[in-house]
Amino acid sequence: MVQFHEHIISDLLEDPTGGLVVLSGGLGLHKLIASLLHLHHPSQGTLLILSASPSQKSSILSSLQSTLYTQNTDSPEITNLPSEITSDLPAHQRLSLYTSGGVFFVTVRILIVDLLTHRLPTTAIAGIILLNAHSLSDTATEAFIVRILRSSNRNLYVRAFSDRPHAMISGFAKAERTLKCLFLKKLHLWPRFQVYVSQDLERDPPEVVDIRVPMTAYMVGIQKAVTEVMDACLKEMRKTNKVDIEDLTVENGLFKSFDEIVRRQLDPIWHTLGKKTKQLVSDLKTLRKLLDYLVRYDAVTYLKYLDSLRASESFRSVWIFAESSYKIFELAKKRVYYFGRSGSRKLSGHSKNVTSKKRKLDSSNKEKEDSLPSSSSSVILEEVLEEAPKWKVLREVLEEIEEAREKQALSRGELVVGDEQDDNGIILVACKDERSCMQLEYCIANGPQKVMREEWEKYLLSKVELQALPKHNKKKPKDPKGFGILDGVVPTTPGQKAEVSSLSKQEHNALLAAASEISKLSKKDVVVEDNLQTCVGSGGGGKRKGKGKVKGRNRKTSANFQISVDREDRSNTETAVSEKSNILASEIEGQDSGFNLRGDFQENVEGTSMERQVLRKHAQVVGAEPFKNTKRLPPVHFHALESDQHILDILKPSVIIVYHPDMAFVREIEIYKAENPSNKLKVYFLFYEDSTEVQKFEASIRKENGAFESLIRQKSLMMIPVDQDGRCLGQNSSIEPQSVVSKNSITRKAGGRKEAEKEMLVIVDMREFMSSLPNVLHQNGMRIIPVTLEVGDYILSPSMCVERKSIQDLFGSFASGRLYHQVEMMARYYRIPVLLIEFSQDKSFSFQSTSDIGDDVTPNSIISKLSLLVLHFPRLRIVWSRSLHATAEIFASLKANQDEPDEAKAIRVGVPSEEGIVENDVRAENYNTSAVEFLRRLPGVTDSNYRALMDGCKSLAELALLPVERLAELMGGHKAAKTLRDFLDAKYPTLL
Amino acid sequence: SSGQTAPSRNAILVSHRQKGNPLLKHIRNVRWAFADVICDYMLGQNSCALYLSLRYHLLHPDYLYYRIRELQKNFKLRVVLCHVDVEDVIKPLLEVTKTALLHDCTLLCGWSLEECGRYLETIKVYENKPADLIQGQMDADYLSRLTHALTSVRHVNKTDVVTLGSTFGSLSSTMDASMEDLGRCPGIGERKVRRLYDTFHEPFKRVI
Repeated sequence: MVQFHEHIISDLLEDPTGGLVVLSGGLGLHKLIASLLHLHHPSQGTLLILSASPSQKSSILSSLQSTLYTQNTDSPEITNLPSEITSDLPAHQRLSLYTSGGVFFVTVRILIVDLLTHRLPTTAIAGIILLNAHSLSDTATEAFIVRILRSSNRNLYVRAFSDRPHAMISGFAKAERTLKCLFLKKLHLWPRFQVYVSQDLERDPPEVVDIRVPMTAYMVGIQKAVTEVMDACLKEMRKTNKVDIEDLTVENGLFKSFDEIVRRQLDPIWHTLGKKTKQLVSDLKTLRKLLDYLVRYDAVTYLKYLDSLRASESFRSVWIFAESSYKIFELAKKRVYYFGRSGSRKLSGHSKNVTSKKRKLDSSNKEKEDSLPSSSSSVILEEVLEEAPKWKVLREVLEEIEEAREKQALSRGELVVGDEQDDNGIILVACKDERSCMQLEYCIANGPQKVMREEWEKYLLSKVELQALPKHNKKKPKDPKGFGILDGVVPTTPGQKAEVSSLSKQEHNALLAAASEISKLSKKDVVVEDNLQTCVGSGGGGKRKGKGKVKGRNRKTSANFQISVDREDRSNTETAVSEKSNILASEIEGQDSGFNLRGDFQENVEGTSMERQVLRKHAQVVGAEPFKNTKRLPPVHFHALESDQHILDILKPSVIIVYHPDMAFVREIEIYKAENPSNKLKVYFLFYEDSTEVQKFEASIRKENGAFESLIRQKSLMMIPVDQDGRCLGQNSSIEPQSVVSKNSITRKAGGRKEAEKEMLVIVDMREFMSSLPNVLHQNGMRIIPVTLEVGDYILSPSMCVERKSIQDLFGSFASGRLYHQVEMMARYYRIPVLLIEFSQDKSFSFQSTSDIGDDVTPNSIISKLSLLVLHFPRLRIVWSRSLHATAEIFASLKANQDEPDEAKAIRVGVPSEEGIVENDVRAENYNTSAVEFLRRLPGVTDSNYRALMDGCKSLAELALLPVERLAELMGGHKAAKTLRDFLDAKYPTLL
Repeated sequence: SSGQTAPSRNAILVSHRQKGNPLLKHIRNVRWAFADVICDYMLGQNSCALYLSLRYHLLHPDYLYYRIRELQKNFKLRVVLCHVDVEDVIKPLLEVTKTALLHDCTLLCGWSLEECGRYLETIKVYENKPADLIQGQMDADYLSRLTHALTSVRHVNKTDVVTLGSTFGSLSSTMDASMEDLGRCPGIGERKVRRLYDTFHEPFKRVI
C-alpha cells in the first residue's frame, strides 16, 4: 500500500457520514477500495458497492485477494470477499444476503426495487461505496437509493469515488450537485500533484527512456491532411454560432470529451439544428478516429478502414469531399501500393527488371514489389506495404535489452543465477488494444514483412470475394453530393473525370487481379508445394522441405493464416518457420510471375528463382539475426490497456515498453514502482515524433491538472448546507420516506393540492428504473410499486396506462414499429391509453426547426408519423412534457379524480394467456434483451414466432446453425424459415 | 356538419371563427374553404380539430373547455392543436393537457404556425392511409436489413456493419465468430466485441 492511500483513507474515515473522493486517473483506485473493504467487519452491517464496472469489480477482487494472501490472515477473513447480488438470486436469498453483514456488489436496479418493495431492512446496511461518482446526476437512481436509505438509517455512510476529474467539472457546479444529491459534506481532492502523492511517487522513480520515433513521410502527410480537414470542419462549426468558440480547437478535437463538450452545448437545441451541423459533429468524431488509428493500425488495415468508411458513409459526409480528404485517401493508398501506368506493353518486361533491381536495393528496407501486368493493358501495381516505424524501434529496443543482459550475465560470471531473482527479466509491452497486441506479438515473432504481407493478402482477398458476387450495390455510382461547404470541390474537371474514373477502374481491376492470383495460389497450393519441394531441395537442406510443406498446408486451410500458426509452435520453431515462410514467399513470387508472364519468363523460371533464392537467403541472414536474438530473449508480455486490467502487480515486470502512451498507465507504473522500491524498473516510451499522439498525451495531463484546479476553486466556493444530514434526520421523523421531499415539494403544492392528501400510487414497470422518472415521482410524494408490466410503462389508474417515450426513443420506435405495437396493446387493454412524449429539460422543447419542416407532406417527417398514429388510434391521448418534473406534476393532476391502480391486475394484463403462467419476476433481467431485440429484427421473425424460436434454441449463435427444417418447425412455416435461413447465409456484398 | 356538398370532401372545412388566423396561410398542400362547422377545422368525416394558442389560453383559461363541450360526440378523432407560443410552458400546457385528456381529445403541439398547418394538412392527406409507415416496414435490401439487425447491438454503427460483413462474409459466420476474430476488425474495440459476443452467445433466457 502506498502511503498516500493511507492518507486518503484516514481523511475519509474522519467524517462518519462519508465523503466524495476525486483522484487522478491511474492512482490505483481499486487498491484503495480494496483496503477500505479490508477494514470492513461483518458486525458493522452490510456494505454495498454500487455502480462498479465489471473490470473494476475484478480488479478490486484481485487486489483484495492479494492483500489477504500477503497478510496471511485467518481463514474466516477470506470468506469475506465481496460477492455479487443479481436478479438471478431469488428474493428470500437476497434478503438473507442483505442482512449477512458481508460486502456485496449490487446493481442499482435490483437495489432500488428491493428497497421500494421493502425487501431490504435498511438498518442492516452499514454503508455504501459508490464508484464512478462522475456519472451521477441529481435524478440518478443512485441518488434515489441514498435518499431512501438515509431517511431511515441515519448511521449510514456513503463513500463515493471518482477517478475522472475532468468528468467531475462538466456542467454547472457538478461536484457540488453530486455532493448534495448524496447528502455529503466533504469533497476530498487527490490530484497527482498533491504533495503526498508526488512525494510518494517521486521518491524512487523508475529509469525512463523516451524514444521519439519519426513518422514516415506519408504518415506525416496523412496526419496533416486530417488535421486540416478537422480544422475546416471546426471553422464551419464556428460559423453556426452554436458552440462556444473557445472550445472549438483542434487540440480539444483530439479527445473523446470533445463530443461531450459539443453535445452539451448543442443538446438544448439539437432538434432544431440543421442536417449540416449534425453531420459536422459526427464527422469530427470520425476524423478523431482517423488520427487515432493512424498511429495504431498498420498501413493496410488503415486503408481497409478508410475503404469501409467510404463505403458506409459516402455521400452524406461533408468531410469526405474536402480537398484534403482526397489527400488522406491518396496517401493511405500510397503507403500500401503504388499504381500507375507504364508506356507500352513491352515495358512489362522492363518493369520487371526495374523492380527486381529495386528489390536488390531495397531488400534491407523490406520493401517488396510485384508487377502484375493485367491482361488488358500495361498498368502496374506495386506493393509498397509501409511498415509502422515503431515496429523496427521496438525490435531494436528489445535487442538492446538483450545485449545489456548478456553483458551483465557475462560480467557476473558463474556466481549469479540466484541473484537474478530481483530482476525476473519480464518485459512488458503495453499497447492500447488487444488487436495491436496480437499484431505486435506476431510481428516480433515473424518479422514485419510477413505481417504486412498477410494483411495485404487478406485485404486483396476481401476484394475478390465481392467480385464473385452479383453486383447489386445500387449506392455505388452515386455522385458526390457534399453540402458545398469546406469548398469541397473534388479536384476534377468533367474531362478529367472520365479519365480518373477509368483509371480508378483499372486500378480496381488490377487489385482484383492481384487478389485472384493470391486466391488461386491458395487453391493451387498443391502445385506450389510440389514446386517448393524441388526448388527448396535445390536451394536448401532436406529438413526445410518438410517444414515448408506444413507451412503450405497451413496456407491452404484458411485465409486467416495468422491464427493458424500455433503459439507454442511459434516460440519453439520461430526461426525455422520464419525462414521457411520467407522461402515460401519467394517461391510464390516465382509462381506469380510464372502465371503472368508465361511466355518470356517461364524459361528463366529456374534460373531466376535460384538467383532469388540466393538473394532471399542473403536477406534472411540480415533479417533472421534479430529473430535469433529474440528467441533468446525472455518472454515478452503484451498488455492491452483497453482491457482495464491491472497486471503490473501480477507480472512484476522489470522492463516496461509503453508502446502507446497513456496517462493512467504511466501513473500505474509509478505506483507499482513506489510499492516495490527494491525492484529495478526501466521504462521505455515510444512516441511518434511531432504526432498527435504526443500532443494528446501531453494535453491529457494538462487537462487533468486544469480539472483539478477548477475543482479546488469550486471547493472553496461551495455552498453545502451545514444541516445536510440534519435535514435528513428531520425528515426521518415522518417514517414514510416518501414525504422526504426537500424544497421541491414546496413549489409543487402551488397547484392547490393539499399536503395531507392520501398517498398516490403509481405502478411502474421494472425496466423503467433505467430512467429517472420513478425517482422524481417518488420525490413528489408518490408511492412507487415496481412490477413487471407486459403492457405500458406506468399505470396511473385502473383505466389509465402510460407509455413513456423520450425523444430519441420516439423516433427510434416509430422506425422499428415498436410504438405502433405498444399503442395497439395499450388501446386493447385500457380505456385511456396515453403516450407520454418526454422532452429533456436541457434539450430544446420542440421537434425540429421551422426551416426543417419543408414544403410538402413527407412520409419521413415526425409530423406525418404522429399524425398517422393519431388517425389509427383516435382514442390515444398524448401528453407533451417539458421535463421530468413536469411529468410528475402532470401525473399527479391526471390521477386526481381517478381510482388507484391495482397491482395484481396490472401485472396480468397482456401476458400471453396460452402459456397460462403469470410471470412474477424481474422479466427484463431474465432475458438477454439485446439478443431478443436482435432476433426480432431478423427477416421472417415476427411477433408470433419469436418466442417459439427462443424456446427452441439457446442463443443466437445456436440459431445461426439450425437447419431450415428445424427453423420451419419452430417458426410454424416454411416460408418464414427460408427467409430467415437465406438471410443468415447470404453472402455479404462487399461495397469496395 | 352533414350539409356539406361533394366537392368539399377533399378540402379542409374551416370555421368562420378562424377568419384572420395566420395559420391559414400555411395550409398549402390541401384545399380549404370556409364553412359553417362547429369545430375550427373539419378534417374528414370523423375527424376534427380545435386550434388553441397557449397565449390565448392564458387569457381565457375556460375557452378550451367550452369549445370541446360544443363538439359533442360527433367525431371519432378530436384533435386539440396547441400552438406553443409562450416561453414558460409548463403551467398552461399542464392545464391544456388535462382538459384535453379528460374530455377525450388528442393533443398535438406545434411550435410554429407552419408546424400547426402541417399537422392539419397531414391528417387530411393521410385520412385513408394504411399504417405501414409506422409499423416498422423498411427497405427490403440486404444491407439495410443487416444494418437494422446489427445496429440493435448498442454502439455498433454502420461502418462496423460493413466491416463485420466484409470480414466474415455472412451474418451466420459473424454470429459464430470468436471474440478474437471480432477484436481483429478495425474499429471494433473491446467494448463492442463484448457486446456483440454476449448478444450472440449469451442465452436468450438467463437461467436461474
